[in-house]
Amino acid sequence: MATAAVYSSPGFDFSNEIRNNFLASKGIPLPKATSTGTTIVGCIFEDGIILGADTRATEGPIVADKNCEKIHYITESIRCCGAGTAADTEFVTNLISSNMEMHALTHNRKPRVVTAMTMLKQYLFRYQGHVGAALVLGGVDATGPNLFTIAPHGSTDKLPYVTMGSGSLAAMAVFESGWRKGMSREEALTLVKSAISAGIFNDLGSGSNVDACIITANNTEMLRNVEMPNERVQKERTYVFPKGTTAWKKEEVRKLVVQEEVRLVGEAMDTD
Amino acid sequence: MDHIDMNRLKQGEINLGTSIMAVQFEGGVVIGADSRTTSGSYIANRVTDKLTFLHDRIYCCRSGSAADTQAIADIGHYSLQMQTQVIGAAPTVLTAAAIMEKMCYQNKDQLSAGIIVAGWDKKNGPSVYNIPLGGGLFRQPWAIGGSGSTYVYGYCDATYQEGWGKDETVNFVKNTLALAMSRDGSSGGCIRMCVITEDGVERMFIPGDQLPRFWEGKEILSDVTKKPLAAIAAVMDVAPMAVEV
Amino acid sequence: MSIMEYNGGSVIAMVGKDCVAIASDLRLGNQALGISSNFQKIFPVTDRIYLGLPGLATDVTTLREVFRFRVNMYTIKEEREIEPETFAHLVSSTLYERRFGPYFIEPVMAGLSKVATGGFKPFIAATDLIGCLNFAKDFVVAGTASSKLYGAAEGLWEPDLEPEQLFETISQTMLNAVDRDAYSGWGVVVHVIEKDKITTRTLKGRMD
Repeated sequence: MATAAVYSSPGFDFSNEIRNNFLASKGIPLPKATSTGTTIVGCIFEDGIILGADTRATEGPIVADKNCEKIHYITESIRCCGAGTAADTEFVTNLISSNMEMHALTHNRKPRVVTAMTMLKQYLFRYQGHVGAALVLGGVDATGPNLFTIAPHGSTDKLPYVTMGSGSLAAMAVFESGWRKGMSREEALTLVKSAISAGIFNDLGSGSNVDACIITANNTEMLRNVEMPNERVQKERTYVFPKGTTAWKKEEVRKLVVQEEVRLVGEAMDTD
Repeated sequence: MDHIDMNRLKQGEINLGTSIMAVQFEGGVVIGADSRTTSGSYIANRVTDKLTFLHDRIYCCRSGSAADTQAIADIGHYSLQMQTQVIGAAPTVLTAAAIMEKMCYQNKDQLSAGIIVAGWDKKNGPSVYNIPLGGGLFRQPWAIGGSGSTYVYGYCDATYQEGWGKDETVNFVKNTLALAMSRDGSSGGCIRMCVITEDGVERMFIPGDQLPRFWEGKEILSDVTKKPLAAIAAVMDVAPMAVEV
Repeated sequence: MSIMEYNGGSVIAMVGKDCVAIASDLRLGNQALGISSNFQKIFPVTDRIYLGLPGLATDVTTLREVFRFRVNMYTIKEEREIEPETFAHLVSSTLYERRFGPYFIEPVMAGLSKVATGGFKPFIAATDLIGCLNFAKDFVVAGTASSKLYGAAEGLWEPDLEPEQLFETISQTMLNAVDRDAYSGWGVVVHVIEKDKITTRTLKGRMD
């Protein structure tokens, strides 16, 4: 059936389940996916929301990505930080971003943060925690600034300052001692930066740089790597190997530029 | 079928280890709850609002899994809005409670939710319905729920009396919750209350440092130890800690 | 033992100056027993995209065909060759589709992407087994020797390596990492992709 092969049904494909369960039943543990042992935060200030995140992605004890982006785009004035299974946070925010765009187009209005929050919580609840995304959702809409956390099982909290991920305890300690109502933009950004730094330096799952995103009623500013406290120092020497260091047995060169020689055969056509 | 562990929570799930309560009085109901949400030993939210709006004069108190009870309350809220449009009048508390109970019972294998539905309606006046963990619908003059409730059943039995007014009922709820919160580690924070009457819904908030306080045990130390040790004396000089600890 | 160690194998990709390189070992094993020393894990996708598939060998074969099919469908529908960035998302989506029953593969991609001005830009990417993309600016690794490859590459890689220098760097990284991994080895193959040619070399290495 050619059609069946070309058009697959939407949603997840479980056809490897039987094989994988068989392997698992033989005592072979299934491998771990990339997870973002993370510090992500959000806080309300005078005229909007600031979101913050570290930039480390881990695979067990290995640092898989030293500078990944954890603040995801939902709409122009709504953004979402993700912690947990990296693939899940990436795909769930992409899906909801897409649905929010469709929602905005069909209703001809700027969509609200609660709309994104409801879509996310209903999606995550449907998967009963198997889609492992822990999110901090923030944005400004017609109702003003809004900030939520969404846990993998689909529960939500609405608070003036929030933290999530493995570094959430370190970051929350900073917020609990430093947050005040009606902070200025500069004060709030400094607080967010020190909350993320607390995660970077005190939590093993978090590291590298600080990302921040400032959302106000008519502007969103993505501050990628606002702080880089862990930049690698310049190497004192280079380790370039001299040509011929590596012995090889066989070489094959595939030329991408086609060599073509044009030769005129026979008499030229009379074009007079 | 084997015994079902009702207290199970899915791995890493956020829990409302809770103290919740609802009491009916002459003109309405008083509902109340602590404000603690936990994830393992971490307090994920210390100012949670567990008193959730279902309809104009109907609220519910949520205990159990945060995700499950929020999902149930959201669907309950939606169903009651639809019901109102179909019937053209406000639903009764019984209707609301029955809708909630149906969801709790039919999905009992997948849920951990203990809910109290309370409110006021034209037909029956004030009423309180308890929906315990596996489902079931019980009308009670007062109901308590959540992990903290086990510590205060005796207090409620000994204290509750019929014919109270609003202020006495509010005090009863406040005291009961303060006692439950002080004994139960997974309850705490502040107290949130709502008084629901025909006229409207009045919200009340008791911060953690203004909770009712009961005997805290320091007298024993000063009576028994005639001449306190230096270390104990130093501790006693410090102002007593707030009970939310 | 993890299922990722059942057949063994490792892949690495590195960025150079106007070029990229991708290398893999050639071992196919059945746990500790070596089966083949000519098991290709790297496949050309287009003229300027190469894809490495370390992991469970049965899934290497399956996914290779899945991607061939999907890239062909793309080429027919769009009437143009797929760009590396687009292909990386195709790989990511294909793996995430099986989020709850994954293929045991951690793909590595290397290629040159067209830029508006007419030139080419080096591109490398890797994903985990459920399709979480990792766009690195320096190098990406995967497979049973990944932990050793990280260490070696972190020390040896530097920016703006010319194609011949890049060949030496990626080869030495691969050979030395693979020598410390019991499940990888039995020969190494390296592809260096430049704008006008692809050089494929089979290296001399330990065969134990």
